Amino acid sequence: MATVSHWRVTDRATGEILGESDPPVGGPNREGKPGERPLVLPSTALPSVRGRIPLEVVVGGWRFDLEGEDAAIAEIRERATAGHEAAVHHGPTEVRAIIPGRVVAVAVVAGEAVMTGQRLLAVEAMKMENELRAPRDGTIDRVVVAVGQTVELGDALVVIR
Amino acid sequence: MTRRASPFQRVLVANRGEIAVRIIRACHELGMEAIAVYSDIDAGALHVRMADDAVRLGPAPASESYLRIDAIVEAARATGSDAVHPGYGFLSERAAFARALEDAGIVFVGPPSGVIDGLGDKVNARRLARSVGVEGVPGSVDPVDVGRPDAVAGIIADAERIGFPLLVKAAAGGGGRGMRRVSTADALPAALEAGSAEAAAAFGDGSVYLEREIHPARHIEVQLLGDATGRVVAIGERDCSIQRRHQKLIEEAPAPGLSGDERRHLHGLAVKVASAAGLRNAATAEFLRTPDGRYYFLEVNTRLQVEHGVTELVAGIDIVREQFWLAAGRPLSAAAEAAAAAAAEPAGHAIEVRLAAEDPAHDFAPGPGPIRHWVMPSGPGVRVDTGLGQGDRVPPDYDNLMAKILVHADDRDGAIDRLRRALDETEIAGLQSTLPFHRYVARHAGFRAGDLSIEWVAEHWDGPGERARFVNVAVAAAASAASGLTEGRGVPGADPARLDPAAVGTWGNVARAEATDRWPR
Repeated sequence: MATVSHWRVTDRATGEILGESDPPVGGPNREGKPGERPLVLPSTALPSVRGRIPLEVVVGGWRFDLEGEDAAIAEIRERATAGHEAAVHHGPTEVRAIIPGRVVAVAVVAGEAVMTGQRLLAVEAMKMENELRAPRDGTIDRVVVAVGQTVELGDALVVIR
Repeated sequence: MTRRASPFQRVLVANRGEIAVRIIRACHELGMEAIAVYSDIDAGALHVRMADDAVRLGPAPASESYLRIDAIVEAARATGSDAVHPGYGFLSERAAFARALEDAGIVFVGPPSGVIDGLGDKVNARRLARSVGVEGVPGSVDPVDVGRPDAVAGIIADAERIGFPLLVKAAAGGGGRGMRRVSTADALPAALEAGSAEAAAAFGDGSVYLEREIHPARHIEVQLLGDATGRVVAIGERDCSIQRRHQKLIEEAPAPGLSGDERRHLHGLAVKVASAAGLRNAATAEFLRTPDGRYYFLEVNTRLQVEHGVTELVAGIDIVREQFWLAAGRPLSAAAEAAAAAAAEPAGHAIEVRLAAEDPAHDFAPGPGPIRHWVMPSGPGVRVDTGLGQGDRVPPDYDNLMAKILVHADDRDGAIDRLRRALDETEIAGLQSTLPFHRYVARHAGFRAGDLSIEWVAEHWDGPGERARFVNVAVAAAASAASGLTEGRGVPGADPARLDPAAVGTWGNVARAEATDRWPR
């Protein structure tokens, strides 16, 4: 396989590009103090984009859910999909579960108009209720879950159009 | 060899997780059989594997399993258990549970149901404390009737007398549920309504009371033991000031900076309240300490506390073992009496951190998940209490405590050094834990100086900022691992002979190669 000259590293949760890096000489493990040496594990998740390498990195006790991608390929892909992504931006938005848990309240119904920040539903996990709010103005296209249902991380809950 | 006497033959442990494991260990050391109970999601859990036998209670939700009094009493009866230890949480402070066992002729390892009843209601407990001259935080003694609009004027007059800022608190519960901070009189009606509604939802009882806010306050609590003769002793205090959402993150024993006289005074207050309540078995009296060394009584928890281990390490006794003997009707043991005699001048220091499945960069938001990698510390002066291991999942259905890491040393500085070292050995992957927060505290100059308050987290912890310090290292590590994997040579710097390129697909080797690479050759 060809050598990659630059890696682009993306945060899987937010999609944010955290940095581009040359493959360092020597292992990252040799750097840093005890307790602050990175631990790298394969991610159990599938890559969000084909060709990306999902990795779980833990350093200083912080867990980073990352993806590495050849920076050159990433740029080609971005140019190819620029038009498509612009279209997606105006399409429906799926509100997904940010934690696994149980749906304890649903505050909206299909067809209802919502405003940014409006409460959509609540998921309970570990005795804590977590509210999910509308990320943008729009109309509820459909509510995918019902009260009492168990949801996994990343499950679609509500679709806004 | 003669068999030593045991307090009971067979004990049902009505709990799960690390505390069930802790209690099963005590059972086995005392020569008793331990019966575990479990919900479907816990069928393969450590406490079930360790027990002599186990009984299924029901599906995962606690209301259908660990909170079912009928199912647990029946399990105790069916297994021929002569005692039940409730642990903490779940049914440990339900008088109805203690009573159901009493009625079934099974010993409840804890205070009698009447004592749980009397102390369980915080307003009751405060009234009792006042009757023996132990002051609570200035506030309303009686619960406020939020439902009656005509009573609101009286409440506001009460509030003016107490002084602002004050706290609206739930009479029936704890953990910060139903609690509201109010800084002015006009904000009071809304806070009463919201606090009462939250309390009603959480505890099925919307009664609330008012309390002056003490700032900065330390949370200090006293471990108590009592026997059937009515003798109650204090075996030491713990400082549990470092909290989030009014739930403890770090506890230590003894409380730093207290003189022997101050300890004697505090222990005396706790014993006075507990004696008045007729305490038996184990309980903990909680106090707030003002900066000028005044103590205000908060409540008595009539059960084993999560943080009992720090007292065990300093006092040199096994509190769960004491609980069993006390429940069997024995008087306080020689070990307990000796610990009580030494409690005001303790030797040594212990600190506990609670590793929980939550994100300290996002307001300690809980997040269940799989434990993909798990290395707990060991070595001199380190104790780890956990019910989990690598490959387990932290389920969303219960409390998110994963492990308690306790350290013990000759003095507080030595304990902090040991804590820092132990946390550097700790590795968890698969889900976010509170480990970074504990690492931060163990290095914090203010913590080392004993500068503690219940606002510590709000005043000193910048979670997102701390996490951001590690982004670059994480990115470099990810890039390095991605290179190593795509080029089939593993992680750069690792010995290629030890990393089979064919096995790169089973990525676990990456972590393993990294771990072994740390050893000197």
